[in-house]
Amino acid sequence: MTWYEILIIVAACLIVVGVIVSGIVRKKQGKSGCDCGCSSCSGCAGCSSRKPAAKKGEQTTQHTQQSP
Amino acid sequence: MKQFALAGNPNSGKTTLFNLLTGSTAYVGNWPGVTVDKKVGTYKKGAEPVQIVDLPGIYSLSPYTPEEIISRNFILEEKPACVINIVDATNLERNLYLTTQLIEIDVPMVIALNMMDEVEKSGDAVDAKMLEKKIGLPVVAISALKGTGIKELMDRAIAVSKQPREGATVLKESPVAHLVQDVAIALRAQGVEAPLFHAVKLSESDEIETKMHPELVRMVDEFKATFKDDVFGTDLEAVVADARYKYISANYSTAYQKKNGKGEKLTRSDRADKVLTHRVWGIPIFIVILFAIFHLTFAEDLFYISAMAGGLPTLEELGMDTENGAVTLLACFYDGAVFSPGVILTNLLNWVLEWINVLADMACANAAPWVGSFVVDGVLGGVFAVLGFIPQILTLFLFFSILEDSGYMARIAFILDRIFRRFGLSGRAFMPMVMGFGCSLPAMINTRTLADDKERTSTVRVIPFFSCGAKLPILTAVAGAIVASAGVGNADVITMCMYLLGICTAIVTVILMRSTTMRGEVPPFIMELPAYHAPRFSSLMIHLWDKTKHYVKKAFTIILASTIVIWFFSSFNWSWEFLINEDGDNLRMSESILGSLGMLIQPLFTPLGFGSQLGEFGWVFAVAAITGLVAKENVIATFGTLAAAIVGSVISTEDGVEEVVAMIEGTGIGVPALIAFIAFNMLTIPCFAACATARAELPKGKFRWTLLFWLATSYIVSMMIYLIGSWWWTAFIFAVLIAAAIAAIVLWNRKHPIAKAGAGSAGLEENALRAEAAAAKGVRK
Repeated sequence: MTWYEILIIVAACLIVVGVIVSGIVRKKQGKSGCDCGCSSCSGCAGCSSRKPAAKKGEQTTQHTQQSP
Repeated sequence: MKQFALAGNPNSGKTTLFNLLTGSTAYVGNWPGVTVDKKVGTYKKGAEPVQIVDLPGIYSLSPYTPEEIISRNFILEEKPACVINIVDATNLERNLYLTTQLIEIDVPMVIALNMMDEVEKSGDAVDAKMLEKKIGLPVVAISALKGTGIKELMDRAIAVSKQPREGATVLKESPVAHLVQDVAIALRAQGVEAPLFHAVKLSESDEIETKMHPELVRMVDEFKATFKDDVFGTDLEAVVADARYKYISANYSTAYQKKNGKGEKLTRSDRADKVLTHRVWGIPIFIVILFAIFHLTFAEDLFYISAMAGGLPTLEELGMDTENGAVTLLACFYDGAVFSPGVILTNLLNWVLEWINVLADMACANAAPWVGSFVVDGVLGGVFAVLGFIPQILTLFLFFSILEDSGYMARIAFILDRIFRRFGLSGRAFMPMVMGFGCSLPAMINTRTLADDKERTSTVRVIPFFSCGAKLPILTAVAGAIVASAGVGNADVITMCMYLLGICTAIVTVILMRSTTMRGEVPPFIMELPAYHAPRFSSLMIHLWDKTKHYVKKAFTIILASTIVIWFFSSFNWSWEFLINEDGDNLRMSESILGSLGMLIQPLFTPLGFGSQLGEFGWVFAVAAITGLVAKENVIATFGTLAAAIVGSVISTEDGVEEVVAMIEGTGIGVPALIAFIAFNMLTIPCFAACATARAELPKGKFRWTLLFWLATSYIVSMMIYLIGSWWWTAFIFAVLIAAAIAAIVLWNRKHPIAKAGAGSAGLEENALRAEAAAAKGVRK
């Protein structure tokens, strides 16, 4: 096996592992895996939080109830 | 760092101002409801850096939809140092309705009179100083689009943010003034912040406020018992809304001076709307525009010139050497017909990719056979098959962006409301669906603007039927291959028909859902139609650049990794024997791990036409459909990776169409099965990212059913296409089955009539009534 064959195998393995690992990391960070591009997206802010706004609203309302 | 919030009506220019202040490139659309969540950026041009928060547009602080809740809660709970209230100066009265609510909150505030350039262009004028005197808050005339007045606005906002401000109300002369005053005193005694705002909301019997202060509800009820308005009865929310409008009309409207004191006259937008939103011609015009877009993007015979002329000579027929580099370049523009701009750009890119492929092939000539197979056939074949479609995707998006930025998309929602309403959806649901043509993720998030949960669930479920950019390579490649191999129809017509199939499937499934599991009243639809304006070049370019960047990134990450995995599993069998021969060909691919797994699932697709009947390599279609679940582009990437092995030699071109043609020749698949294949991939479970978003956006417990719904719909529709396409008489069987299903639904609906509107729907009705009141004051419905 020549050096460039080894290089190709290593590069291919790194690409596959890299894509899988970065996918897992992004998911853990709550980021989306879409290809839409955040600057073209109306929902980019909601995308990273991964929580529907209605639930956020409910939570915030409960919090407010205690404030007075 | 201080926090300034941008609050205002939908489509008043908040995001444009946000982009200007923060240097961001956040998505700006010429229709109301683009922003559904808050966005944060930093303004650094002042004496001190300020955090700017762009809130979703709202008409009032009585929240009905999730994004309205976000805006209200942010202002009340995050307590920004200053609220910049963006007011659309061309619609002053309606926009000031929200202002009268915002000034009741104890927060420093500045009013930005936006779109002053439009006001001046129409010859009208708004007296900002007079308005400032009457409202008692700083008012700055700006144009976010042209960037005028921004410095003054920020200077004044920074100045007012240094001093606290106590809320004031315009309801002092209203019939509820005493009630508001009494409740405010009670709230102040309890130590509640912004007591005046909460008092007004409590007087309106606002749902959130009554839950927060149940002890004060009695005070409101006692007042109601002794109160009755001639017009609104005991509906205090309507009384308060009426009082606000009367105050605005009497005190603020005088600041707006019409040109020469003339009354209402039709604007250019109004005149255009007379044609474009015409009751009869509106939809045919929309279909013609859609056809023109598809024609300019996909047609291989521009304006059908060649067809009308009875066929133009090809370059070969003209005696040119088609192997010559210059002639191959010329063939990107013309070869027996003039190509459309989308096809020309695609041809040019494929011309470049082909050269790269040739160079890669030469570089691998002396290497081990598997290197050539891996690099040229596997990796480059797969990735280039996907990359080759970038020009057509961008051309299509350019046209869609033009329609959106010009304001025409909002009109389509208005036109389609009449049709959608019959099927159980409001026209508002159309906007997220249209966004689905770009990408399902933001589209699903945008359904937050829909107030009704059932309508929202139905819309999220049908969004993937609107073909996104990732599915476009499947449509284009297979449609092109059908034309090239079977000589049937035109690629642009086939592609457009597939898009229409997605829309029709969405409509039919919505009818089914809204007649069975998702039954409910159709929410009222009030939408502000924005004025038409020429799309901004910079905005269009930002959209396209962003799309290209992410598409290329995806091609070199997920797609590249997928092609490596596909090549690997198609090159080894279960005994880990390497199947590539000394010539670099994979003639035993069906024995591979991928092949054996593909053959295992292949029978599932037999009723759809791309299963067991396709012989040795039929499993490739089944595998492609499954790899498409990771990312839809993978379908064509899989063809690109495996095509060379199927035809037994290196594919001479990197055009995805040619690779599908190779698949057709290798498997003998027919046209009905190919159409069924497109339909299945278009309608089935979307990519993983879209599934994750759907799971987050759908109500609890609905996601599993949604997956089943996507799978069942795609399977049934594809099976119908294949069976009817292969044996026309099966259409009668399906007609009988559909008639029986309709009869069953009608009978079931008669037995189980829809329960009358509950509290939630009543809220919607009230919201609509209030919005209609607003409409009467200046919003065109």
